[in-house]
Amino acid sequence: MNHATRWRLAMRLLARDWRAGELRILSAAIIIAVAASTAIGFFTDRLGRGMVNQSADFLGADLVLESPRPVAAEWLAEARETGLGTSEALKFSSVLVAGDQLQLGGVRAVEAGFPLRGRLRTAAGPFLTDAEDTGIPVVGEAWAAPRLLTRLGLNSGDSLTVGERTLLIRKVLTFEPGQAGSPFGVAPRLLMNLADVPATGVVQPGSRLTYQYLFAGAEQDIARYRGWLKPRLGPSHRLIGVQEGRRAVGSALERAERFLGLAIMAAIVLAGVAIAMAARRYSERHFDMSAMLRCLGATQRDLLALYLAQLLVLGLLASAAGCLLGWLAQQGLLALLAELLPMAPSATSAWPVLAGLLTGLVVLAGFALPPVLRLKDVSPLRVLRRELSPLTGNAWLVYGAAITAVLLLMWRYTGNAKLTLAALAGGAAASAVLGLLGFILLALGRRLHTRVGVAWRFGLNNLWRRRRASVSQILAFGLALMAMAVIALVRSDLLSTWQSQLPVDVPNHFAINIMPEEVEAVRGFMAAHAVETTRIYPMVRGRLVTINDAPVRQAVTKEAQSDNALNRELNFTWTTELQEDNRILSGRWWRAGDAGRPLVSVESKLAERLGIEVDDYLGFTVGDEVFTARVASIRSVQWDSFRPNFYMVFPPGVIERFAATWMTSFHLPPGDKPMLIELVRNYPSITVLEMDLILAQVERIFRQVTLAVEYVLLFVLLAGFAVLFAALQASLDERLYEGALLRALGASRRQLRSGHLVEFITLGALAGLVAAIGTECLAWVLYSQVLHFDYSFKWPVWIAAPLTGAVLIGAAGYRGTRPVVERSPVLLLRER
Amino acid sequence: MVAASGLGKRVDTAAGPLDILTDIDLQIQGGEAVAIVGVSGSGKSTLLGLLAGLDLPSSGDVRLAGHHMNALDEDGRAQVRGLLVGFVFQSFQLLPGLTALENVMLPLELAAADRPRAQAMQLLERVGLAGRLTHYPKQLSGGEQQRVAIARAFSMQPAILFADEPTGNLDSSTGETVIDLLFELNREHHTTLVLVTHDEALAARCERHIRLEAGRIMAASNTP
Repeated sequence: MNHATRWRLAMRLLARDWRAGELRILSAAIIIAVAASTAIGFFTDRLGRGMVNQSADFLGADLVLESPRPVAAEWLAEARETGLGTSEALKFSSVLVAGDQLQLGGVRAVEAGFPLRGRLRTAAGPFLTDAEDTGIPVVGEAWAAPRLLTRLGLNSGDSLTVGERTLLIRKVLTFEPGQAGSPFGVAPRLLMNLADVPATGVVQPGSRLTYQYLFAGAEQDIARYRGWLKPRLGPSHRLIGVQEGRRAVGSALERAERFLGLAIMAAIVLAGVAIAMAARRYSERHFDMSAMLRCLGATQRDLLALYLAQLLVLGLLASAAGCLLGWLAQQGLLALLAELLPMAPSATSAWPVLAGLLTGLVVLAGFALPPVLRLKDVSPLRVLRRELSPLTGNAWLVYGAAITAVLLLMWRYTGNAKLTLAALAGGAAASAVLGLLGFILLALGRRLHTRVGVAWRFGLNNLWRRRRASVSQILAFGLALMAMAVIALVRSDLLSTWQSQLPVDVPNHFAINIMPEEVEAVRGFMAAHAVETTRIYPMVRGRLVTINDAPVRQAVTKEAQSDNALNRELNFTWTTELQEDNRILSGRWWRAGDAGRPLVSVESKLAERLGIEVDDYLGFTVGDEVFTARVASIRSVQWDSFRPNFYMVFPPGVIERFAATWMTSFHLPPGDKPMLIELVRNYPSITVLEMDLILAQVERIFRQVTLAVEYVLLFVLLAGFAVLFAALQASLDERLYEGALLRALGASRRQLRSGHLVEFITLGALAGLVAAIGTECLAWVLYSQVLHFDYSFKWPVWIAAPLTGAVLIGAAGYRGTRPVVERSPVLLLRER
Repeated sequence: MVAASGLGKRVDTAAGPLDILTDIDLQIQGGEAVAIVGVSGSGKSTLLGLLAGLDLPSSGDVRLAGHHMNALDEDGRAQVRGLLVGFVFQSFQLLPGLTALENVMLPLELAAADRPRAQAMQLLERVGLAGRLTHYPKQLSGGEQQRVAIARAFSMQPAILFADEPTGNLDSSTGETVIDLLFELNREHHTTLVLVTHDEALAARCERHIRLEAGRIMAASNTP
């Protein structure tokens, strides 16, 4: 047979099989596998590429220096001498007020020339098309992010107040360089002119501000300046280059890709099982044809080429359809997560399409090739003796090919051999346990068998007879339902736990950045408004730099070296009275006469992590000054009490010489919020943290992320359906024959249909039961080991999962077995 | 044209080895029409399979138009079949995915013959199915399907035609029409015909009978 003939014949046979519906399950399973993988592929590729291409644009500069205080003027002079462009900005959180609405906003004040790299993007109004913008807000004006406008109920052209300064909102800010690195930024953004900052009154000694210095220039100049600057940096300075900026977003994306990748792998493996089942049936239905072709003189090579060409074309077509579906699904994922994304995704590239096609072919090769390869071994003698089938495929080949395909794909997703093997082993172990469970349940169901009516007996019998297929379906749906149930459980429990952590009378607002001279006035203001506050504490920000004279990083264990507490400023206070919710665990609280002595009380968890004990000497820096204090006590703190609390507490007279701001917390019912506007107007430096709103925001992010994960898990469910239909199709010939026989023997259509309904409802309910058992175990581990929640029996899952399984699978299976009663028994028996 | 010497076929069963054919010697000349007859289980189909090179004997030797079938591998035997042999089966064995025309074209295409479509159309016209070219096997009656199979068998102008119970699935009048057609074409193409049947009337139309009983040739006789 020459190539052209083979090709023509292959395509003709493929077209015919397609028209006859022989390839539906096979192609649907490929489409699901490819759609699942390309959805994530497109998603991470668009975000990732956007990030790599534009990381300088995202940073807004080639190099950024951040500092809690202004830096020496010579540092900037040096940069300009080196030939770098510079620009200054100030970042702070502030309560923004519009009419009677309040919103904590992330504010950046910038000067002309910002950003040095990349462009701002603005729109004339919310939800209008945005464009690059070369300017910055002029004095007296501001640009606001859409979310801020929504929260405050504003539109462009309205005004809002930052501290004491009212600004006109001129444009809607849709993209702002330099916000990379905080992919899930909480506070909505406001951009204003640096020249307006003094009028706001927010800059006071001790205020929490971040001064930003942006630099841009030739690569070698940047490197030279970096080298000059580095030795001069103090512990509170942070230098961010393009790499650092990229790394922050990159690692977040990578984690997301790995996590979603594992969910996708479950979908691909299930789709693979469906492909294997469908390919096996395909192969068996082509034995006769292969034998006949052999009789007519076709060689093994001819047959191989014939079937491989069909498989290849089918694989490519189905993969292409899968890519399209994956692209659509990815749009859905982007829409779900739009608000949380750090950047606008860049345009679609061809890579995920290529990867998708490759995924389709790898899955096909791994799961479909071994059964199809058997076709070349069909004996031509089969034309005379139909019972002759080729030897069953070599088990090593069948499972080896599948496992290789799975390993290959998994490695692509995780990019990590250890994680791949661990996930594979974990998946195999979980499948084995759940599969065994499914088998036991099936066997228990069988014991009912003698005590039930004919429809039940027929249905249960069908399940038991095809128990291998039944177990694989129970497993497929059990896994999908379990994953979804766990996500739903964790979401609702996390949310209700957060809500229950805010009982009615607990403080739900913090007021920080109260200036020393305002403390009495604020106390009076609160009293006048009948708001009960906790005590007002001074707060000094400083760093822990030595423990017993050794630099802190050398003094602590290796694990503790990356402790966040060492990389940022901590809150210090002084007081004579121990806070209500604190307990002294070791050492002693201040006595009379301790005032002015260099002593400190350390929060217990921090002390434990860093190995600090009573009588150790700790060295601190505040601003440029260094001082030492002896640990007098270790103190437990109840952080979730929403009262002001501190890592380091000093006796009076030790740190009072440093610039301090004051803070307090108080409870405010939602109806009393207008009082905050008056507070912020009277004392513009004060930042009010509305914990109820911040929690609501975190809750919303969490809800969106878990929704996105469930969205991805839908693919797992879809793949489960592919397995169901593949198994149905594999048993359909047998079912048709049996149905015809039973009907010839006098069974009514109703009896047969009831039997089918029983079979699939039972299958679904068992899958749900397996899911419930799995969920219960997984939830227990998660709650007790990871989340540290109180664990309680998850009874709703035990109802919802079997019910969902029974309804979904009952309906699908009932529909899938319809041909059994639709075709005439005479025809079916004659065809046999 | 077809020669077998000392041919035997032994299979292993649960109850020990079983001889299906023992010590078969036969010679079939070119152009001859030979019927292999015997009751069910006498080994007729096994013998046909061996003679046609569909299977290998446990002992002995088969030569097909001078080709040593035992000495060839499966692909080699396939090529010999493709070039020299035509088949007609009891169950027709048409490819369900191809139309009548495509089924007849298939052997021509496999052998990369010239103008396969025109040749196939001519043959279908010859068997009286000019109006059924684009029908699929399912849309044809049993007799029509067997006529397509006969057209396919003659498409390569084979030197030898093997027919396995060609009327087994047809009612007697249809069967007769089909057999008439088979013998007509056989005469026109001077094909050697080897026909397996348990139908004595059909066997009577062949020049020579080979009677099998329990895997052995009991009698070879010429039709009187």
